[in-house]
Amino acid sequence: MKTEQAQPQAAENSLAAMNNRIGRVVTEAVGRTLRDRGVSRMLIALVVAFGFFAIMRPRIFLGPINLQNIMVAAPEVGVIAIAMMLAMLTGGIDLSLVSIANLSAVTMSTLFTAMAASNPAFGESMTVPIILIGLVVGAACGLLNGLLISLVGITPILATLATMQILNGLAVVWTGGKTLYGAPAALTTFGKTAIGPVPMLFIVFVLVAIVIATVVRSTALGRKLELQGANPVAARFSGIPSRSVLISSYTIGGLLAGLAGVLFLCRNPTASADYGASYVLLVIVIAVLGGTNPNGGFATVAGVVLATLTLQVVASGFTALRLSPYQYSIAQGVILVVVMILDTIQWSRPKWRKRGVTTDSASLQTTQVGTIKKDKEQE
Amino acid sequence: MSSTTAPATQLADATGPAPVLSARHISKRFGGVQALDDVSLDLIPGEVHCLAGENGCGKSTLIKMISGAERPDSGEIEVDGIVHTRMNTTSAIQSGIQVIYQDFSLFGNLTVAENIVLTSAVAAKRKLYRVKDAREKAQAIVDELQLDLDLNADVENLSVADRQLTAICRALVSDARVIIMDEPTTALTHSEVEHLFTVVERLRARGVALVFVSHKLQEVLAISQRLTIMRSGRVVISGPSADFDRRSIARHMTGSDVEESRRVPDFDQTATPALEVRGLTLPGAFRDVSFQVGKGEILGVTGLLGSGRTELAESVFGVLPAKSGTIAIDGKPVRVRNIQDAVAAGIGYVPEDRLTQGLFLEKPIADNIIAASFNEHRNRWKLLDRKRIWGTITHFFDQLKIHAPHPNRAVRTLSGGNAQRVVLAKWLATDPKVLILNGPTVGVDVGSKAQILDLLRIQAERGMAVVIISDDVNELVACCHRVLVVAHGQITHELVADQVTEDSIQESMAV
Repeated sequence: MKTEQAQPQAAENSLAAMNNRIGRVVTEAVGRTLRDRGVSRMLIALVVAFGFFAIMRPRIFLGPINLQNIMVAAPEVGVIAIAMMLAMLTGGIDLSLVSIANLSAVTMSTLFTAMAASNPAFGESMTVPIILIGLVVGAACGLLNGLLISLVGITPILATLATMQILNGLAVVWTGGKTLYGAPAALTTFGKTAIGPVPMLFIVFVLVAIVIATVVRSTALGRKLELQGANPVAARFSGIPSRSVLISSYTIGGLLAGLAGVLFLCRNPTASADYGASYVLLVIVIAVLGGTNPNGGFATVAGVVLATLTLQVVASGFTALRLSPYQYSIAQGVILVVVMILDTIQWSRPKWRKRGVTTDSASLQTTQVGTIKKDKEQE
Repeated sequence: MSSTTAPATQLADATGPAPVLSARHISKRFGGVQALDDVSLDLIPGEVHCLAGENGCGKSTLIKMISGAERPDSGEIEVDGIVHTRMNTTSAIQSGIQVIYQDFSLFGNLTVAENIVLTSAVAAKRKLYRVKDAREKAQAIVDELQLDLDLNADVENLSVADRQLTAICRALVSDARVIIMDEPTTALTHSEVEHLFTVVERLRARGVALVFVSHKLQEVLAISQRLTIMRSGRVVISGPSADFDRRSIARHMTGSDVEESRRVPDFDQTATPALEVRGLTLPGAFRDVSFQVGKGEILGVTGLLGSGRTELAESVFGVLPAKSGTIAIDGKPVRVRNIQDAVAAGIGYVPEDRLTQGLFLEKPIADNIIAASFNEHRNRWKLLDRKRIWGTITHFFDQLKIHAPHPNRAVRTLSGGNAQRVVLAKWLATDPKVLILNGPTVGVDVGSKAQILDLLRIQAERGMAVVIISDDVNELVACCHRVLVVAHGQITHELVADQVTEDSIQESMAV
């Protein structure tokens, strides 16, 4: 409301008007995001989980080290979860993401070791090209997935299962099953850097989230992805080029997995074929918790980011409580089931109650329609 | 309230044979909407009772009450002297009430015999299933109705008409005494409808009470003995069908006189045709088809199901690209290899199957309207221009009078007529030069139908070439400059101007 009142005065001052506009766009975007069920429920879950562990073990859990750890560990899972969300948005799934990330990390580590063997300084100076190659490897693997799914017509779960096996096998054969040591020092340094209390890795994660959210919400490609997932037949009859849309989706997913490979190297200068094996299913859990509809057509990046953080909070909370990773894996399953049950309860509520809620949340935009109508009448 | 006499007429008929089912004083509220308001209905064995009314008038809700899918707030349903204040679906089926929905709810991967028998076997909690018994049971029903149904065929390979017959047989296996059919004729051709009507006669002879829910006034009058018209959740009038004619039914349904006469806007016949098709051939569907549509012309295309009319439209739109022949838009030849080519050339297509091909049901109306024109709504940074998109959405939401609380609502919540307007809006948003509509008013109520045809006339006046593919002869006569009749993959007749009459179309289709 304040921004709107301030508008006439700010008309002369273009900077203020600009600020005003940005403010309004942000308010609108935040409002729209919060209205999404996936987002609001994960926000609640995050607060509840955080509060619970903060009360149980305030000393350890609220310590700066623990909070930093959460922010350092979340990005690599989160980026892969966002990639998974993209695949699920089109009604598919991508099981090969973790394999792609590992292959990309292994490629980068091998390249660096080879270059640094003769001249360490040369290896360091090639950091940026090495990262680019890692990303290209990711994108190429994603492209392969996209081609198998859209051109050949293999079901996503089978196509990516196959590429998962192939890429993982490639990495194992290449490394001989050993863990490779070696990554540009710049990456490791970057992984340890923080702006104030916020690690750079986390900032990268947030930036990736913003970029993908923009792609999904504000580009033709993103909206087409959504519609392709919502009803492939109607998408075809609406002139949406299904093939290129699917190829783009899996390629972007592969690119994100390649980026996750870079993040792996930032955290630890090691690469192996079997790193993060538990991530494969974890990212599906995260994507679904974040409000992604496994049948396609509905997903929000914000929901996925919040779900990532929630699970990371639970994981570190369990460590703080000295519980084992196995107990954490039970907790993951329980959280997923509980959220899904809550979902069904909400669905079967009497219709009028749901209507009331949606009308409330929609009222903001209703006023918008009203003003547009008025404008037209004046014309 | 305009209907003061409704309950009186309802009760006056109680002198005949005892009704097998009576619904009395049923009321139901959904939130702020009174979906049903003190509705009563009697079903008499051996009678076809037609339930007519516009979309949203409450007839579907009433059926849901009778079949136990929803329960009424007040009122009761009496079946064979047993009074139920609420039904559930199981007790409804046990009482012999069967509903045949538009999608027939059949299992496509099972055979006809299995479909006919299985549900009743499941309902009877039978653990084992014997192929031989099932076949015999199914065969008995098929013989009784004198149907020509292949019991071993998979249902997914059947025509719509045969699927419907399968659903009817299934209802009879469960010993149905009340069969409710939702829009039974919309997907059928003329001859199939006639066949259905003979089957209905046999069902009547068997003492089954039938309810037809229909929009097609002509058929309503042809088949039913009794007619109940609903509007805004109330029974407006109920009585013997002989007391009604098409005009009076339409008037009761809409509450006003509906203009159904022929009205075609003028168009410039000398201008370059917007769409010109030459020698189009798709083996197995149609061959050597040539026609043209002028700017501002409304062309009707009709023919029996399987005549190739749908395939022809889908070829022009790139769904089934033609093997040979040329397509020109505004005099310029275009290659249509896929749908994107067609859309880029300025062709829009409102498909036959609105629910699966035309709409994203779970998505908001807004997303559906914009679905085909994202690329036209980008700013200079290739990002979507939210303001302009919203402008387009509200423009068509208002212009097409889509009746919904807000464009953010999921399309799933809309009635047939409104859903069709959303599909129409999607294509108008692309500003097409040629708009092809396949069955534009199938499953749409009378009032909406007139409005949709009006919308098409307006688009034609603005210079759009409109092609309507339809079974509905009234609709073709009402708004088409020219009508092409397709049979066996070729254009057999071309009816121009004054030749476009109901009789001439029927006649040329019969050959």
